[in-house]
Amino acid sequence: MAAADVVEAPQEFNPSAWDWNTILTLSLILLVILVIARAFDIGSLTEKISGKRIVSSHKINGWIAIVFLVLGLIGVWYEMVYHGKYVMVGNAASEHGATYDSMFMWTFGFTFVVFIVTEVLLFYFMFRYSYREDRKALYYFHNNKLEVIWTIVPAIVLTFLVLRGFNTWSKITSSDNEDAQEIEVFAYQFGWKARYAGADGKFGDNSFTFISGTNPLGLAVEGSVDELTQSLNDEIAALEALVASADDSAAVWKARLVNFEAQGRQRAYPEEYKKIREMAMDAESGAYVRGLEKEIKRKSTNVKRIAKFRADEKMFNKAGYDDKVVTEIVLVKNQPYVFKFRARDVIHSAYMPEFRAQMNCVPGMSTQFAFTPIKTTDEARAEKGNPEYDYYLYCNKICGAAHYNMKIKITVVDNQAQYESWLAQQAPVVAPVEAPAAPVAPEAPAAPETPAVAIN
Amino acid sequence: MSTAALHAEHEAHHEHKESFISKYVFSMDHKMISKQFLITGIIMGMIGMIMSLLFRLQLAWPDDQFSIIEMLLGKWGVDGKLDPNFYMGLVTIHGTIMVFYVLTAGLSGTFSNLLIPLQVGARDMASPFMNMLSYWFFFMSSVVLLISVGVETGPASGGWTVYPPLSALDKAMPGSGLGMTLWLVAIVLFIVSSLLGGINYISTVLNQRTKGMSMNRMPLTIWAFFFTAVLGLLSFPVLLGAGLFLIFDRSFGTSFYLSDIYLEGVGALENIGGSPVLYQHLFWFLGHPEVYIILMPALGITSEVISNNARKPIFGYTAMIISLLGISFLSFIVWGHHMFITGMNPFLGSVFMILTLIIAVPSAVKAFNYLTTLWRGNLRFTPAMLFSIGLVSFFISGGLTGIYLGNAALDIQMHDSYFVVAHFHLVMGSAAIFGMFAGIYHWFPRMYGRMMNNTLGYFHFWITFITAYLVFFPMHFMGLAGVPRRYYQFTLVEDFDVWVDVNKLITVSAIIAGFAQLLFLYNFFISIFRGKKSAQNPWGANTLEWTSPIDVRLHGNWPGELPTVYRGPYEYSRPDREEDFFPQHIPDESAPEVLETEKSKKAPAEKEAEAETSVFFAAVKRVFGLG
Repeated sequence: MAAADVVEAPQEFNPSAWDWNTILTLSLILLVILVIARAFDIGSLTEKISGKRIVSSHKINGWIAIVFLVLGLIGVWYEMVYHGKYVMVGNAASEHGATYDSMFMWTFGFTFVVFIVTEVLLFYFMFRYSYREDRKALYYFHNNKLEVIWTIVPAIVLTFLVLRGFNTWSKITSSDNEDAQEIEVFAYQFGWKARYAGADGKFGDNSFTFISGTNPLGLAVEGSVDELTQSLNDEIAALEALVASADDSAAVWKARLVNFEAQGRQRAYPEEYKKIREMAMDAESGAYVRGLEKEIKRKSTNVKRIAKFRADEKMFNKAGYDDKVVTEIVLVKNQPYVFKFRARDVIHSAYMPEFRAQMNCVPGMSTQFAFTPIKTTDEARAEKGNPEYDYYLYCNKICGAAHYNMKIKITVVDNQAQYESWLAQQAPVVAPVEAPAAPVAPEAPAAPETPAVAIN
Repeated sequence: MSTAALHAEHEAHHEHKESFISKYVFSMDHKMISKQFLITGIIMGMIGMIMSLLFRLQLAWPDDQFSIIEMLLGKWGVDGKLDPNFYMGLVTIHGTIMVFYVLTAGLSGTFSNLLIPLQVGARDMASPFMNMLSYWFFFMSSVVLLISVGVETGPASGGWTVYPPLSALDKAMPGSGLGMTLWLVAIVLFIVSSLLGGINYISTVLNQRTKGMSMNRMPLTIWAFFFTAVLGLLSFPVLLGAGLFLIFDRSFGTSFYLSDIYLEGVGALENIGGSPVLYQHLFWFLGHPEVYIILMPALGITSEVISNNARKPIFGYTAMIISLLGISFLSFIVWGHHMFITGMNPFLGSVFMILTLIIAVPSAVKAFNYLTTLWRGNLRFTPAMLFSIGLVSFFISGGLTGIYLGNAALDIQMHDSYFVVAHFHLVMGSAAIFGMFAGIYHWFPRMYGRMMNNTLGYFHFWITFITAYLVFFPMHFMGLAGVPRRYYQFTLVEDFDVWVDVNKLITVSAIIAGFAQLLFLYNFFISIFRGKKSAQNPWGANTLEWTSPIDVRLHGNWPGELPTVYRGPYEYSRPDREEDFFPQHIPDESAPEVLETEKSKKAPAEKEAEAETSVFFAAVKRVFGLG
């Protein structure tokens, strides 16, 4: 990343020079515009005095319209050529991507024709019918035939686009393939994790109430959940102790505040002063205790919920002990997948542009997206001529300060064997032979940057 | 003694009593209130624009430092580098200001207030007092919103749609603390203002029309304001509900929108059973009509300005009204197209897709009607006319990309990408602001009795028009290449490096556009005091607002009796008239039966036009081998 920063030093317009010099320059430009404007005024004044039209502003604007039209069309063409090549069309890395791209091209075809025709007419009319004193506009207020035509024609075109869109949409959203492999994709502020089922092909159960530092996905793992209950109970006890000593602490904070003020340190240490004053005020108004009690209530609710789930043997059936939680997604070419999305805190959106796939990840609601990758990472690299190239899943729903850097790598490998050798390297949620009560921190043995399988 | 004389006496009495406060501050005169809305809207617009320039600097030069950022933002711009949290805050407040404060209140508030009574021939709004309240609620709302930018934890930063849980949990991001509370307060005040205004607009249009002003003689501006007010009245209360639920979730521990949440540093929350998607349904039930609340007044203004300056009747007056009605109706049943990928039932997605794409039909009718109005007109390029034509251009460019985004299948890829940013900034941002500029340039003489400088107006238009395209057109390509919106910087994704130059171009264009607005500000404020005195009817317009005395400030609009209306508002260039306009209030000497309809007698020029169109049809038939 640092390397990328160095590469893209600003080229033409140096922004670090965005100081008073630049501001002065821009003001100067403004002044020039004002002078030109004044000159125009003088021109029109001369016209008035001499009674002769020098040049009509209507004609000028008509000509500018034509110039704008020509330059605009050149600009459109330029963009199509120079930036059009980055547009994701015709290079989809997923099976449904081709359908998507053809839908896009049909829409593009219709809208582009309408765009060119109407804009050309608009600016041509500006030029052609600019004001002349000797002409009178045509008194023409409606024509049913014309109006019916331009209601029906768009309606027909849109019916076509709607039907096609409907088909494409149904095809993409209703692909319930029996062979599809499920992968759980878990979003949190600010990152992604993926979970693969273990050898049994079954995912273990989970709940947001089980989430802890060592169990980031909230999986139903006995040891980890019990540990969480224990630590929650400890925290509750600590909070209750704080409540019990609240009166004392209020006195302490007040004394501190008085002391602080007496020593006249407010000005020298404004931050500390603010904090002490806030604490003293909260303690006095009871906000401090109310805050603590709220915390206690929240934590004990969590403990109660955990206890209820803990009694559920079906939930703790150890099916998930061999699940693998990973920090990179590896897929096999031509294998259908269903991504099941879960969000921990706020709404995120899993955006995989190369695969023409996107789905929101909503807390409290499970969502999914099914697709089949058809192009391996290596193939994509060869196509782009960039040996460093990788697929990514980005976050595409505003989720906080680091939203712009929330992504997870997707690697598409050529065959099942490569995938399996990668998966074998990943640690399971609970190590199989060693003491079953000790959960392994799932993300601890962080996956190597590039899995062995992805290297040719 | 006639009522007119009585009224005049009353007026004189009234004038006498007016103090500075009742005349300029707590004024109940709709003309003064419209100016208050306009000035507040312009100030908010400038603030919103400066915010956008600040985050554009960040996007174009993410690795550089700008002393101006530190100067303006203090702790949020340490070392001249914009803080990521404050970037989100700027994006959010920019959107909120532009959508609600500039393009809803600033546009609709200004021109509905100014034009509804003047164009339908009423002495004032149905309830001038409520009208005054409407402005002052708006003013309070603006003040609260601006205060929220300055609070310690920063302004609301979850995007202008403020989706929970992000906006509901103050530990989820700093902006969701006090800043978000103030945002909600501001929006509640705003909704009150909007409802007070809307009720007034509707009742004035329905009840206060002068003699002869039947509904089918109303200018299209009034039709647009009318539908806009109805939309606002039906949809803003839903936003109020959504906002109240959010306030409950934030402050009173309810779980309307919250379920199964674990927050880093806090732990698992108690809330279960709510749905974040519920908020999105409620929000977009307002949010989508809101788009048309913004756009329709601009379209109405454009219709009036284009017809007036083309010296030609608006083409398809009835079709224009029906398409406005169609758009208004459809706007209530398409909100789901903002939510195709929230995980809602795919079948629901297809229904919303079909309904959404239908909107393209009335929109297309409007665009074609504008084009036909220009065809064989005698186009006077006043700045207002140029801005109206600019609106039509943006409406087409931005409207067409709506056909991509309304398609559920295509939305999978384009949702929340720069393509969306390009789409709505063109079709509702730029188009509506151009409608507002057109309105300001056109009715400035009506508001202040003076003219704005045309030449400065031309510069303002062309610079803004070109730079707006330079800013938004390349964004389509970024979006299609998969660049997500609301990213603080793109340097962390190697693939996005190709857009560094484009981002610079966009930012430089935006800065130039910003300077062009200074031309407008200069022109606007200087012309208020030093502009050339306007004639009574400077644009040769047909509508009634130009019959009320322009040089005296008169609460009650007309000194004597209200004008009587004899015909529709778009009788320009009638072949049987010497002049190229025929004001609505002047009786037709040649035809004593003033109620004679246009249909009963075809003017010769129309025959000529039909002959021409039949040539066109013949050509079409020949091309397609139908003849």
